[in-house]
Amino acid sequence: MRVMRHTIPLVAGILVLAACQSTGSPGASGGDGEAVCDGDTDGYLGRICEAGTIVAFTDPAYPPQSFINDETGEYEGFDVDVTNEIAARLGVEVEFTTPAFDAVIAGEWAERWDIAVGSVTITEDRKEILDFTVPYYFTPAQMTTFEESDIQSIEDFAGTTVCVGEATTYLDWIEGTLTLTPEAGDVTDPPADITATTLPTDLDCADSWRSSRRDFEGWISSSTTVAGTIADDYPIREVGDPIFFEPLAVVFDQAVEDRASLVEAVDQIVQDMHNDGTLTAMSEEWFDGLDLTKQE
Amino acid sequence: MAGGGVQRVGTIDEIGVPTRAAILDEIVAAQRRRRRWFRGQFAFVWIVLVGIVGVFLWSAGRISWEFIFTSGPYILGGAGVTILVSAVAMVMAIGLALLGALGRLSVNAIFNAVASLYVSLVRGTPLLVQIWFIFYALPQADIVLDAIPAGIIALGFNYGAYMTEIFRAGIQAVPRSQREAAQALGLPERLVFRRIVLPQAVRIVIPAIGNDFVAMIKDSALVSVIAIQELLWRATRVGRSERQLLAAIAIAAVVYWILTIIFSYFQDKLEKRMARGDR
Repeated sequence: MRVMRHTIPLVAGILVLAACQSTGSPGASGGDGEAVCDGDTDGYLGRICEAGTIVAFTDPAYPPQSFINDETGEYEGFDVDVTNEIAARLGVEVEFTTPAFDAVIAGEWAERWDIAVGSVTITEDRKEILDFTVPYYFTPAQMTTFEESDIQSIEDFAGTTVCVGEATTYLDWIEGTLTLTPEAGDVTDPPADITATTLPTDLDCADSWRSSRRDFEGWISSSTTVAGTIADDYPIREVGDPIFFEPLAVVFDQAVEDRASLVEAVDQIVQDMHNDGTLTAMSEEWFDGLDLTKQE
Repeated sequence: MAGGGVQRVGTIDEIGVPTRAAILDEIVAAQRRRRRWFRGQFAFVWIVLVGIVGVFLWSAGRISWEFIFTSGPYILGGAGVTILVSAVAMVMAIGLALLGALGRLSVNAIFNAVASLYVSLVRGTPLLVQIWFIFYALPQADIVLDAIPAGIIALGFNYGAYMTEIFRAGIQAVPRSQREAAQALGLPERLVFRRIVLPQAVRIVIPAIGNDFVAMIKDSALVSVIAIQELLWRATRVGRSERQLLAAIAIAAVVYWILTIIFSYFQDKLEKRMARGDR
């Protein structure tokens, strides 16, 4: 039996503090039409509607997808807006929690959080433990090197070390274990004898270069993250065309048996957000006018 | 020196030799000067060294004032969680340590074995592993703890084991004669421990406990891996968001340092007070 939905009370004070820690804003309401929770709901969705709150993962270390506004302490960004909009259309409040990204990919969330709108790429491997909605946007995976490096093309990375964030698809690509679904399109083969080194998040690789470390020749991240660092005068330049395009979707934990109701409802909401232009507007707001919500 | 001479020349005052009081004053003043000179040099060395480190960080890290002023308060806000987690975990650790020490000294084989296994297991595995275990492994047994309780339990459990050994040593350090004297006075066995041995043991272990608390404040940074938004978590997230990771970590380091300085000050006072009994 699950011991209560979110909590085992330990000390009253701790709970108060935990509760105060991070409650997201309810977000802009969908406005038109009634919320999903206004109708009949059952299963996991029913429990969330009854609680009135959906607990959502976010890792605020990835601007512009997710970051902290240090004046208000609120989470902001593209993923955060999408999360808030989904919750608004469900008719519940959002409460954000912030474990490490690899905890999301590993599955077995123990219902500590219900949903992850964390720019998670759909792969065949992940599909074995996680459920995905339709993609809500697509990002190109971009190879980079530091400014003064001799590397000019993707083939030049042969025999070198490349830095990637932990548990990312970029790591899978280097190790030859990337299994994108057919909708992702073509994938460039990794150069021969390329080895990976990982740091906790993508940006740590870039920071490592900025602090004058040169432990690795390359860094792979989404083109949006790369563009952000270059705009901030990091000593980085892009190499070659994108190596693959990642379809990014909302994910759920397959360990929850009665999850189907929630997955279906959110999948429908994401499709609606594509159709009514909400996602395009959010993408253009956060990605400098780029609409990344359409397949290339 | 003047007394009992062969021939009386005059009083000390008359010949201008300093009085005993004046000599003492002079000695005290000299000591004070020396102490002031020492403190001055001490402070000077600290300021210079900290200044060098600061300038180095400044030039190497592209640290912006703007970041420190806008994000500093947000990072500082994490100190409350750090203190709460450390303090509650410390209370738990002290309770566990007392039980553990009694177990380790017990003649009851079962009690002794349980306490010994606890100490061996916890001291034999990394704290980070224990934190992950409590957060990720316990839910497989349908025990789902929120992040903050999980972090507190992990820290308290870990420090309880180390402090068990401190308590055990403290209890054993109370002279056997104290116990014998109490027994001779006819005190019941339970009171002998509670009223005679324990208070003296506590005084012996206070410095070591204070030391552990300082270590705990810093080790609490490890619970940032299970989504507890304490000092280091806030620093790394804001640092990455604003691309000022080095500055953010430096701010967190300074806050940890200040927290331990403040605590050490109170610990010093407590120890001085408790030492008053030693004559």
